[in-house]
Amino acid sequence: MVGAGFVPGMNAVIKGAALAAGELGWEVVGIRDGFEGLLHPEHYPEGGLVPLTPHLVETLDPAAGSLLGQSGRIDPFNVRQLNEDEIIEEVDQSDELLARLKEEKIEALISVVGGQGLTICYKLHAKGLNIVCVPRAIENDIASTLVSFGFNSALSFTIEMLDKARQAAQAARKVAVVEVLGVQSGWLALQAGIAAGADAVLIPEIPCDLQTVAAKLKEKMTNRRSYGLVVVAEGAKIVDNSQVPANKVPENTLKASLSPLAAGDNSTYVIQRSGLAAETVANGLQLLIAEETFPLVIGLWARGGAPTAVDRQLGLAYGAGAVQALNAGQDGVMVAFVPPAIKFVPLAEAINKVRTVPADNEFLKTARSLGICLGN
Amino acid sequence: MNSSVLTGTVLNIQRYCSHDGPGIRTNVFLKGCSLRCKWCGNPESIRVKPELSYDPKKCKGRECSLCLKPPLPQGAFYFTEGEEGPVKVNWDLTSGIDESMSSLCPTGALEMYGKKMTVDEVLAEVEKDASIYRSSGGGITLSGGECLLQADFSAALLKGAHERGINTAIETACNVPWANIEKVLPHVDTMLHDHKLTIPERHKKWTGAGNERILANFKKAYETFPDIDFIARTPLIPGVNADEEHIRAVLAFIRPHKNVIDYELLPYHRFGLGKYEYLGKVYELDDYKTPSDEVVQSLQAIIDEAFGRTGKKDPEQS
Repeated sequence: MVGAGFVPGMNAVIKGAALAAGELGWEVVGIRDGFEGLLHPEHYPEGGLVPLTPHLVETLDPAAGSLLGQSGRIDPFNVRQLNEDEIIEEVDQSDELLARLKEEKIEALISVVGGQGLTICYKLHAKGLNIVCVPRAIENDIASTLVSFGFNSALSFTIEMLDKARQAAQAARKVAVVEVLGVQSGWLALQAGIAAGADAVLIPEIPCDLQTVAAKLKEKMTNRRSYGLVVVAEGAKIVDNSQVPANKVPENTLKASLSPLAAGDNSTYVIQRSGLAAETVANGLQLLIAEETFPLVIGLWARGGAPTAVDRQLGLAYGAGAVQALNAGQDGVMVAFVPPAIKFVPLAEAINKVRTVPADNEFLKTARSLGICLGN
Repeated sequence: MNSSVLTGTVLNIQRYCSHDGPGIRTNVFLKGCSLRCKWCGNPESIRVKPELSYDPKKCKGRECSLCLKPPLPQGAFYFTEGEEGPVKVNWDLTSGIDESMSSLCPTGALEMYGKKMTVDEVLAEVEKDASIYRSSGGGITLSGGECLLQADFSAALLKGAHERGINTAIETACNVPWANIEKVLPHVDTMLHDHKLTIPERHKKWTGAGNERILANFKKAYETFPDIDFIARTPLIPGVNADEEHIRAVLAFIRPHKNVIDYELLPYHRFGLGKYEYLGKVYELDDYKTPSDEVVQSLQAIIDEAFGRTGKKDPEQS
């Protein structure tokens, strides 16, 4: 089963699990579109389950989208449906899901999921489901594993895009400010920024002062090098951006009237739209330096495309690892890559943790020694 | 049941409102909605049951940590390594939390949205501003969520308001069985109602339900209750419904009915974003922006023209 949120090369995990299970003589079926194929088989004329025979998976295209599709944020504990009065409501269908698994004689479930999916699997495990999870995260923010499936492909693509942004900045003699994925963790921004030779990398873990970034850019930019590249993670925190025009909607009576418990749009806890970080940093920097800046957003582009060699190998290893876990009698675990081994981490330990960049991380040391400004 | 002790789930009572019916009004927001509009500004009103909200600004962090202990569910609250707080919430593990558990939070960071109230309790609040209603022509407005989902409670509230001489209004999308509407409308003076999108498939895409029943209910309401002042409304969202075609379609629908006295536009302002964080819900309309003044003005001009308010004074009417 593949949870919500796409990453490149999902077929590699499916293939790894199916081949490893085949070696053990186990029968494997895939569930279409998260749990949809199981809960609503009537939506699939060809059946909600796909028999994953070694013959079928051997020829799976690693660059294609997932053979099984994925769920669109479907949580079996919270399924939206119409009641008898055709009123929309959310209901708990977890018991129905477990019954359907039993009906289909499915003894164990391998689930490729992100952070939220891990909690859902943890709850299903608490209800008795035999389940093993494979971590999937573009931002590499799942704790207990060094690397989540999908991160390396996103990293590779982001580096390629940063190279192009730098070339564009060079041609235009401007400063490119490129926003990359990473609300809570700055791995993608940091590692891609180092690889692409950015002048500054701003990540959520290190509150950033734009004055410091501006000073660094002034130092680096000369008549012969009149361009710059700043990489900013979506969740980067700008310490003092009072000089930046705030994108705030003033409190007004109409707003209060329509939305009784409204928090202001300038609240710390407002969900920021994609592109806001790049726009904020680009606008703020332009007020502090002589050169022009321009914002670019990589965003969801990083979720598509073909997987890298690393992700193809990792996907196969994670898929096979999940089967090994089940064969070893382990369930309620997440497969983790803790070099040099594939390990199994209990779901209770895997949830509620975010893998952030620690202050003493080697990538941070490398960035500093390369002269990359981290905003502090 | 004695209607005065009938209870409903109330989200909030807000005094001194001026946008939901005539005069200065008290808005009573009822919990529970029959649609799931992607731009919803009141996410705390969607579920029928009371639900947990969390304001991290009020959390005292590790020094408190009461929410990490029973009876609150294990794993529902946690701290990130190296951080003092505020506590983080795993929303997928909070569904079992009720009022008795949330009240254990000493700082008020954890609260429940929605509480049970009787008709008399609500009316006692509403009556506090009776003199303002008299001087301004205002009264009570039931809003939501969808107030017609709690039809018996709404009917009893509005009947009680009328008995006290208070003007009544409701704000509704009418995506409910006609039986619910029939109970409430005899006690309504003004009905504000939303025409969100015209095409049924697009209505379903953006709100979760088609608009066939809604439009049938509107038409039947206009015809069955000729004495009610109906005011049509559209929450204006660029790229979704802020277009001339939709406005003209709504006008074609409402203008044959003389008791539809106005059509209002409500420009989208990303109203509820902060609250999505409080509720741990995902806001699905992330990248949409407020419609420009030019767009609003051009659409408003179409409405004004349809209602004969072209700005040019008609000498025969003056």
